[in-house]
Amino acid sequence: MTTVPKRLAVKLSLARAPQLQPAHIVPIFQRWIQQRTVPGMLIDVIDYKHVPNGPGVLLIADEADYGWDLVGGRAGLRYIRKRALPEDLSAALRLCCAGALAAAQALEAEAPDDIAFDYHALEVSYLDRLRYPNEAQAAAAAQALLATALQEIFGAKPRLQRLHDDPRYLLAFRCVAGRSLADSMPAPALAG
Amino acid sequence: MTSWKERLKDEIPLEMTKLIDTYEAQMSLRRQGKMDEKVFAEARLRKGVYGQRYDNGQRHDGIRAQALAYPSGDIVKGTDTLWDAPGMQRIKIPYGGLSARQLETLSELADEYADGILHITTRQDIQLHYVHIDDTPDLMRRLAAVGITTQEACGNSVRNITACSLAGVCHDEAFDVSPYADAMTQFLLAHDDVQDFGRKFKVAFSGCAGHACGLVHMHDLGLLAQTREAAGELQKGFTVFVGGGLGTVPHQAKILAEFVAPEDLLPLTQAIARVFARLGEKKNRNRARLKFLVAKLGIDEFRGLVEAELESLPQDPRHTAYLDDDADLAYAPAKAGLRLNGAPLPTGFADWYRSNVYRQAQPGYSVVTLHSPLGDFTAQQGFALADIARKYVGDNIRLTVEQNIVLRWVADADLPALCRDLRKIGLGGAHAGTIVDITTCPGTDTCKLGIASSRGLTAELRARLIERINLLPDAVRELKIKVSGCFNSCGQHHVADIGFFGNSRRSGNHKLPHFQVVLGGQWQQNAGSYGLAVGAVPAKAVPEALAALTERYVAERAKDENFQRWVKRLGRKEIKTMLKPFMQLPTFEENADFFSDWGDSRVYTIDDIGVGECAGEVVSLFSMEISKAESTHFEALLALDDGDYRRADERAYRAMLLAARALVRTKFLDVGDDSDRIVNEFRQRFYDTELVYDRFAKGKFARYLFKRHTQAPTRLDEDYAHQIIDETQLFIDNIHSAEQRINGVIVG
Ligand code: SF4
Repeated sequence: MTTVPKRLAVKLSLARAPQLQPAHIVPIFQRWIQQRTVPGMLIDVIDYKHVPNGPGVLLIADEADYGWDLVGGRAGLRYIRKRALPEDLSAALRLCCAGALAAAQALEAEAPDDIAFDYHALEVSYLDRLRYPNEAQAAAAAQALLATALQEIFGAKPRLQRLHDDPRYLLAFRCVAGRSLADSMPAPALAG
Repeated sequence: MTSWKERLKDEIPLEMTKLIDTYEAQMSLRRQGKMDEKVFAEARLRKGVYGQRYDNGQRHDGIRAQALAYPSGDIVKGTDTLWDAPGMQRIKIPYGGLSARQLETLSELADEYADGILHITTRQDIQLHYVHIDDTPDLMRRLAAVGITTQEACGNSVRNITACSLAGVCHDEAFDVSPYADAMTQFLLAHDDVQDFGRKFKVAFSGCAGHACGLVHMHDLGLLAQTREAAGELQKGFTVFVGGGLGTVPHQAKILAEFVAPEDLLPLTQAIARVFARLGEKKNRNRARLKFLVAKLGIDEFRGLVEAELESLPQDPRHTAYLDDDADLAYAPAKAGLRLNGAPLPTGFADWYRSNVYRQAQPGYSVVTLHSPLGDFTAQQGFALADIARKYVGDNIRLTVEQNIVLRWVADADLPALCRDLRKIGLGGAHAGTIVDITTCPGTDTCKLGIASSRGLTAELRARLIERINLLPDAVRELKIKVSGCFNSCGQHHVADIGFFGNSRRSGNHKLPHFQVVLGGQWQQNAGSYGLAVGAVPAKAVPEALAALTERYVAERAKDENFQRWVKRLGRKEIKTMLKPFMQLPTFEENADFFSDWGDSRVYTIDDIGVGECAGEVVSLFSMEISKAESTHFEALLALDDGDYRRADERAYRAMLLAARALVRTKFLDVGDDSDRIVNEFRQRFYDTELVYDRFAKGKFARYLFKRHTQAPTRLDEDYAHQIIDETQLFIDNIHSAEQRINGVIVG
């Protein structure tokens, strides 16, 4: 199963966010559109902070959305690649990690608070139930491929844990690496 | 498995497969430029695939207009609607009825193709936002596999048929209307006789006259359940209403037939559809709803035409076949009905019970309302809710026209446990149906027509009201607030105690988002009467204006006096005086916050006007002149209150003339005050040149003036006065917008 999913997402969770509220994010994301802070054709900001444990605040773009994501009760930055994914899974994953990293670092720089992301851990989700159903056999195969792809990024195999075994939920893994993503990838080029 | 098409081929009814395959083929043709864009747009809309804000490739970011260069370039999916631009998918949920499996599928689609949110509409539909058109055929197949269609969810077609969410369990209903709503849905779906309408056609069923759940008076076709005694037997039937509607100018429906037996219901509907298709306006979409045809012909002539049509209608076994299947739609409870049995209650249970629980007609059972703020819930909540539904009620889930979800047939003994389970997933909040449970349309968040942020305002009002909910007197707790992002009324602001609809005004060289305050609408009695605008308040001043209004209501209301009666007693003049302090416009320098909308940090703009030439003196002249039009409009409102319909008409017409004159004088100071001259100058300078055209409604509002100028009213009654006052308000708003466009606005 080397097929690239139709959509692929990487989420970095916060290690520290003393006071940060979703309401702080809206102006930041709107500024990112004005200043083209993160890569992509940025379209709009949508605010779902009224919904508990939901997508929070989303910066919608053509190729990939950036989310201040609260799903699962874990606040974090989620990069959701929707289009123009490379045909190779490793490359697609690398692209998503770079997108999440760029946005997380930009947010650390701009948030009105001393926030910090945990760059040793990621959540990878496959938004494609046709090619990546969340079923035991398919999940095991996907996990093996993901481990290999992440090893290329982090230099060592991360620990992987499937997030849900309920087939209705997206296939997703929590990945904990011995090394920080920030140290493992070249500094992302931020659009300016 | 290569595709959803392949995987689901045995699970989708053949008819649905054909419709979706045809649509997919049309998509290919359009991409190759082999299908006309307008034809494709209608085909797409009839599949519920809608445009969204910024799909024309322009977005104002608060500093400048940015071009959005989508990868597919100039290929469009409709006029000014770029192929790659994210769009909205509307999904019909007939009378809001959902099974647990269907809810799961909708949730899967939300987090796979959209932004993870399911939005409940005021027509009991579900909408997904930010969907790419290329994903829509698979999305439709996955829905079709669980018995859901998007067919005719938008476009000039029969929209989702709505019905009371309490149908079948209500104390006050004549009988359960669900089987009839279901039968009509099946019968009309893709029916030949509903393919040639000039506009959409909305149908609603209600089980009783008194409550609001069905809202039959504001529908093209409203069916009100009735029973009558005949030959010693109780017969079921419907009072049939036609020609109601909200939209820019609301119309109350008229009675077409007092009592129609179930076996005659579908033939009658088919005859109405045929008359509408044949005689309804096709060219001017602003006058193409059934309400205009009924108003033009008069209800008696319309009735005659329908009766003649019925005579020639071919026999169709489907007209009555469903009556034999009546029992199939009777909802079986998942569990035995047991009363609350003294089990420990969660904290806050009493509050939740008071606002969110309705005791069913069937002893031992209740309906529980799940309040979904702004009509939104997440895919994860959807999965968890499906589990909760299976545990307590099976497939007895419905969406409501107030953008909530109800679980029906909950055994009373399960209420404490259900309350706990709902709280765990964030759907156990109290205060459903109270003042905090505000209805809102998408507004500027995603709607192409939005002028102000209805969702932003709603979120703000909701947050403020929730903080104080326990301090609010019952009279205020029970008020209904409804918000629309523009005059189109998707948020149903006309039928709220307090409604708001978005518009904009200018202060100096900047625009400010505003909301018209609409008071005195009636939600009960099936949307029994419509409110009228009393004045526009800057968006940022709305919370304070609302507080002033409700505080005064509480302080001054007579015992048992409801809000509509209080509004009427106080009179518009006094209300306007009360709101006046909130209508004052600061300059940008005095309070820049007023120049951003709620939930938006950008300096407000509704289109991509950019920097225009500022003509300071002309602006101030215009402001003075347009304010005369506004006060004259207000006099029309007062005349309406007094029942002086002749004066209401005269004042409304005069207000339109003054507004037109205000605009004319920005270009031609010496126009004078002769009405013919004002109208001619206005027509030549602003209408023929299309300068006054609204981006979507085009010249519709200007034609209100032309119509009144050339035709004195043939009748002077309350309906007419209400209508011309509404039209005048829209005309004045249109003049404001045109002036901003023409004379330029500095937006940053
Ligand atoms: S009322 Fe206006 S802004 Fe709201 S959804 Fe309708 S058209 Fe859009």
